[in-house]
Amino acid sequence: MGQTHRRPLRILLAKLGMDTHTVGVTVIAHALREAGMEVIFTGLKQTPAMVAAAAIQEDVDVVGISTLSAGHTRSLPELARLLREAGAGDKLLLAGGVIPEEDMPLLREAGVDRIFTMGADTREIVAYLNDWWAEQAAQSA
Amino acid sequence: MKDHAADTRAASIDEFASAIAEEAARWERSTRGPFVAEHPERREEFLTQALKWPVNPLYTPADLDAVGFDYLEDLGFPGEYPYTRGTSANGHRSDFWTMTQVTGFGKGEAWAKRARYMLDQGLSGLILEYDLATTNGYDSDDPLVAGEVGRAGMALDSLEDLEQAFDLPFDKLKYLMSVCNAPQPVNLAMLIAALEQKGVDPKEFVLHIVNGILIEYTCVGRYIYPPEHGLRLATDCIEYIIRHHPNWAPISIIAAQLQPAKANPVQEIAFSLAIACAYIDATLERGLDIDTVAPYFHFVVNVDMDFFEGICKLRAFRKCWARLMRERYGATKPEAMKMRMMTSPTTVALTLQQPLNNIGRLAIMATACALGGAGESMTTPLHDEAHSLPAEEAIRVGAALQHIVAHETGVAETIDPLAGSYYVETLTKQIETAAFAEMDRIFEMGGALKAIETGYFQRALGREQYERNRDIEEGRRKWVGVNHLKLAEERREINIFRLDDSMEDEQVAKVQALRARRDQAAVDTALEQVRRAAAHGDNMVPVCLEAVKVYATHGEICHAMRDVFGEYGADSQLGGL
Repeated sequence: MGQTHRRPLRILLAKLGMDTHTVGVTVIAHALREAGMEVIFTGLKQTPAMVAAAAIQEDVDVVGISTLSAGHTRSLPELARLLREAGAGDKLLLAGGVIPEEDMPLLREAGVDRIFTMGADTREIVAYLNDWWAEQAAQSA
Repeated sequence: MKDHAADTRAASIDEFASAIAEEAARWERSTRGPFVAEHPERREEFLTQALKWPVNPLYTPADLDAVGFDYLEDLGFPGEYPYTRGTSANGHRSDFWTMTQVTGFGKGEAWAKRARYMLDQGLSGLILEYDLATTNGYDSDDPLVAGEVGRAGMALDSLEDLEQAFDLPFDKLKYLMSVCNAPQPVNLAMLIAALEQKGVDPKEFVLHIVNGILIEYTCVGRYIYPPEHGLRLATDCIEYIIRHHPNWAPISIIAAQLQPAKANPVQEIAFSLAIACAYIDATLERGLDIDTVAPYFHFVVNVDMDFFEGICKLRAFRKCWARLMRERYGATKPEAMKMRMMTSPTTVALTLQQPLNNIGRLAIMATACALGGAGESMTTPLHDEAHSLPAEEAIRVGAALQHIVAHETGVAETIDPLAGSYYVETLTKQIETAAFAEMDRIFEMGGALKAIETGYFQRALGREQYERNRDIEEGRRKWVGVNHLKLAEERREINIFRLDDSMEDEQVAKVQALRARRDQAAVDTALEQVRRAAAHGDNMVPVCLEAVKVYATHGEICHAMRDVFGEYGADSQLGGL
């Protein structure tokens, strides 16, 4: 793994719009905490602007959006744009939940770095984040 | 005299149980033990699915004795206290349960078309669900809900939408359940006004509102106002219906929402009943008495795939309600102690993978519902629900499924056919005992409202969600198609229900056109009355009724109450995060 960080990875988890399905995001939050990461949850009914502001204020490394109600094609590109405009485009942007295959190119294009669909194994998500975090450490070393 | 008879009975049961226990120990030593030594068991431990309680290889009368089971006290007879064997004196031999399904999407007219189709398939009641804009208290043209209009259910902005949705054969439709919790007084007012316009005799029709705001705070999330105000609005609706439409149903405790949030059967019973007590306490404060109020409470309970956990939960649930009403509130009328229940197979047992397998799962769970007593009604989700909104074939299969269970399996021919099973009675009693212990814990912390405000419920569910997910990821729970018998080839297609944008645009245009043509001065006056009643603590239903009749919109009335109550927002503790 080489260079490692002195502090744990910080991640903001958020739910956008009226989508109130929280089981997935809860399970992931527990799994990430168990893996030693610092997890902040925004609560429900957030707008992209609220999430971008929280991401900057909390100075997180990663923003993870859980979406299960089909608003993702609208809200995720907007969030990515707001983060870039605020000079926070280097934060890793993840999405998870119910996201059909055909929407993925659009989301990747818009700046979503990685998409985990429903049923993704939490161990896979933890491993992905650990790898990314190690890479960041190596790059900044 | 009576005590003496009971003592004699107890003594003879004790003797019987210890004789059985001795024999069981001998069997274990001489027969089962040697067998298992040669044929090791296929698992290290056998546990129930949700509670993860150990399951013994064999249950005997000795187990009943160990949990303190007493036939007359614990079971009694059907239609009599404590109702473990069912609230009907004749099970389902006189009438089957009412068979229903969920419907509701798009605009009012589209819903009416689907509803007529469902009535033609032999369903006798309907459940109406609304989109997230409506259930969260916004109009369709609010920028916050862009993309959500008509998606998860029907879009309801004004009385005009319900006037169109109620283009239905009300001679066939005798029962309608409406699921709209946070804005309940507004929704109730709209339904009353629309039924009035259609000339439906409120005495000949049952309107059933779910009115389940406390479970929204606990795990669903569709709330608007802080919990204490949510409870007050729910109580307003309960009181209004009891006083004005006594044949209607003002409240359902949807334990079936706790279950997908991974409440185990003990939590499901304890949280649901503690929540029921919060509504009951608030309603009693309005000057109604327990024997009047309790019969209005209705529960919706899911079963999951663990057949016996499901059946025993339903049996224990009825008994816990009966005991609670008698012991905590001093209810005296049987109607107050009979738990009214709708049962349903859970959607969370269904898989996206190999969706036809779900028909098998639904049949098993519907059978468990029937064996657990079914309740007054049963609703079945559809086998393709995991990946899209119901297609017409899935609706037909779903309706047929209940008829298959009812007519072909024989499970409804005798009352409570699993009673007396050593396993079923042991597990039923264990669930009841644990549920009462958990309820005591909740009452000690100040009841359900406190448990919500402090995040106790949410944290407890969050832990269950995490642990049960790990059971699947780590293979302790086998789930066909997910972590067992997976098809290597299967392409996991996710079809989300995409309504074309024109539907949303039309709905937005419709509510805006309404605002342009209605009597604005009348609307302003009505909204001011709403604010005043909210601040004064008056019952909100009458003022909402005045407002909807002059076509104040759903969102406007909800906003008027936001002005007074404030909003409950990001400080919620869902999932205990």
